[in-house]
Amino acid sequence: MAKPVDLALSGLSKHYGRNVAVEGVTLRIAAGELVALLGPSGCGKTTTLRMVAGLVEPSAGEILIGGMQVTKVPVHKRNIGMLFQNYALFPHLSIAQNVAFGLQMRGVGKAETAKRVADALALVQLGSFADRLPAALSGGQQQRVALARALVIEPSLLLLDEPLGALDKNLRESMQVELRQIQRRLGITAVLVTHDQEEAMTLADRIVIMRDGKLEQVGTPEEIYSQPATRFVAGFIGAANFLKGTVASRGAEGLAIALPGGGRLLLPTETQEAPLVAVRPEAIAIGPADGPLPGNGTPATVEQVVYRGQMTHLYMRLDDGEPLLAYLANRDGAAPDGAGMRVGERVMAHWPASANKVVRDN
Amino acid sequence: MRGRLSTSGAVLVYGFGALILLFILAPLLVVISLSVSQAPFATFPPRGFTFDWFGRVIADEEFRHAFMVSVVLAVAATAASFALGLPAAYALNRWKVPGAAAMEAILLSPQIFPILITGLALLQFMASRGLRDAEMNLFIGHVLITLPYLVRTITASLKLVDRTLEEAARTLGAPPWRVFWLVTVPQIIPGIAAGCLFSFMISFDDFPISLWLADAQTVPLPIFLHSSMSRVFDPSIAAMSTLMILTGALAVIGLEKLVGLRRAMGI
Ligand SMILES: Nc1ncnc2c1ncn2[C@@H]1O[C@H](COP(=O)(O)OP(=O)(O)OP(=O)(O)O)[C@@H](O)[C@H]1O
Ligand SMILES: [Mg+2]
Repeated sequence: MAKPVDLALSGLSKHYGRNVAVEGVTLRIAAGELVALLGPSGCGKTTTLRMVAGLVEPSAGEILIGGMQVTKVPVHKRNIGMLFQNYALFPHLSIAQNVAFGLQMRGVGKAETAKRVADALALVQLGSFADRLPAALSGGQQQRVALARALVIEPSLLLLDEPLGALDKNLRESMQVELRQIQRRLGITAVLVTHDQEEAMTLADRIVIMRDGKLEQVGTPEEIYSQPATRFVAGFIGAANFLKGTVASRGAEGLAIALPGGGRLLLPTETQEAPLVAVRPEAIAIGPADGPLPGNGTPATVEQVVYRGQMTHLYMRLDDGEPLLAYLANRDGAAPDGAGMRVGERVMAHWPASANKVVRDN
Repeated sequence: MRGRLSTSGAVLVYGFGALILLFILAPLLVVISLSVSQAPFATFPPRGFTFDWFGRVIADEEFRHAFMVSVVLAVAATAASFALGLPAAYALNRWKVPGAAAMEAILLSPQIFPILITGLALLQFMASRGLRDAEMNLFIGHVLITLPYLVRTITASLKLVDRTLEEAARTLGAPPWRVFWLVTVPQIIPGIAAGCLFSFMISFDDFPISLWLADAQTVPLPIFLHSSMSRVFDPSIAAMSTLMILTGALAVIGLEKLVGLRRAMGI
């Protein structure tokens, strides 16, 4: 395999007339890293990936692969492996001929082509399918052929646009593992576009959250989940409760915030105004309503109890009308935390100070 | 729809279908039956059975010449229309050509204007330029009327091409012309084949253009057939017609063998 290279995007933009698809994307992807572009539909993920591939011409900005300026280099000279959602296998060519296509374009000799095609098909465990036509393969098998076809040319970059989007859930999960293993083993730099946050979490070294054509946050899956920078990210990755109050007092241990619903928060921050705070539902515990007001907590009324196996989802309402959601773990054998909760019951929801995530409101 | 018809429904559908087929094919069947009739005049119903008229027609040097003129003309016009039509259809569909819609309309217009008038206009134009080479004039006239069929069928199949296949080929290192030959063309072969068949038949069968542009030395088969009508009254006319029908059938069968007719017609 060729030496892995890094990818740098700087100020990358794409405008369609007055319509802005991508705006000022600046990003460095290290050699051998797998980065997922994640975001809601229409946020510009595909457009960004296609600019890297050379299939879409940027309106502004630069693309560097392995330090080489490729912004003006045509697709066929970029040495890129790309996977498409619909597999894009050539229907009139056999599996082996499909995989050989890129080698043929590079003028690789017959004997070497045969050997590399066999190796690539073995890598995706489809050695015995070489002589079939694509139509005779299942969706998962077709995408594995497409992966072999993309990898056999030893590309500098592997670009994946929702490669598993057309597969059913079980197959998707096993393909995710396989894709990850192969990418790791070859050490190839990869960019994955997905709108499936679980897929991004499972596969990516780092996740790039996009919104309206711009980067919203870049970080490891753990950083993105545990330190969301904005309200959008906190709500897009997992679930979050958003709380906003007024500054009640400033003390040595930080800022005390009074919530309009009667609760309170303690923040170790130095801000002037009360910031927006996100609290993950699984951080919230439930106590009796007549107990003392905890450092971080609020009284609430139970509105709905949904048993979900390992969790019980508790939907509550604060006294100012805002909703509050808690996930209560159901440990096997132990009395479930959510047991005995009744609709209409008054409770005291509380959480550790570390669960308070200050996020930018946007 | 793969539902089964009830018995009475089936009788109705097949009966009606057979009637329509009869309506379309009856005149051809009459001609074919006359071509093997022993009666010395073209009379229906035919009497007896003989291939004598075919023998007589094939022995006729003028007929052979006219037949060859038509075949060569149809093949040449089709080849030229293909060579012009493929790049034209591709450019009009894939590139941002200013005035593409207008150009497409002009390319297709010979299908809309009365062909007889087009032929007359061509004759006047060529006469005014002093172009008196009948072979060349016929060739130009036939390209004019066959080109729209190729542009049309190739355009239709280009619109159905899966663009991600082309993109996949590009990412795999194929320069534009190899993408075209290795990925685009295999997808539009059926359209090309159907267009060539139409083109061949339109040219081979053409009367209204050839009428104006033929001269005494270069007489395409339909013109020859028409002029024979006023001289000959025996069934050899029917034999010539049958040979024309056979040529068309051969073209269809050849296409079927080559790419499969169902694919070619986009069925
Ligand atoms: N060829 C085009 N012409 C005009 N607008 C376009 C074109 N391609 C994309 N866009 C617009 O650019 C924006 C971003 O599109 P893009 O396909 O990159 O989104 P995406 O994040 O991949 O979405 P999805 O998850 O639905 O695939 C969208 O608003 C889209 O409508
Ligand atoms: Mg997309």
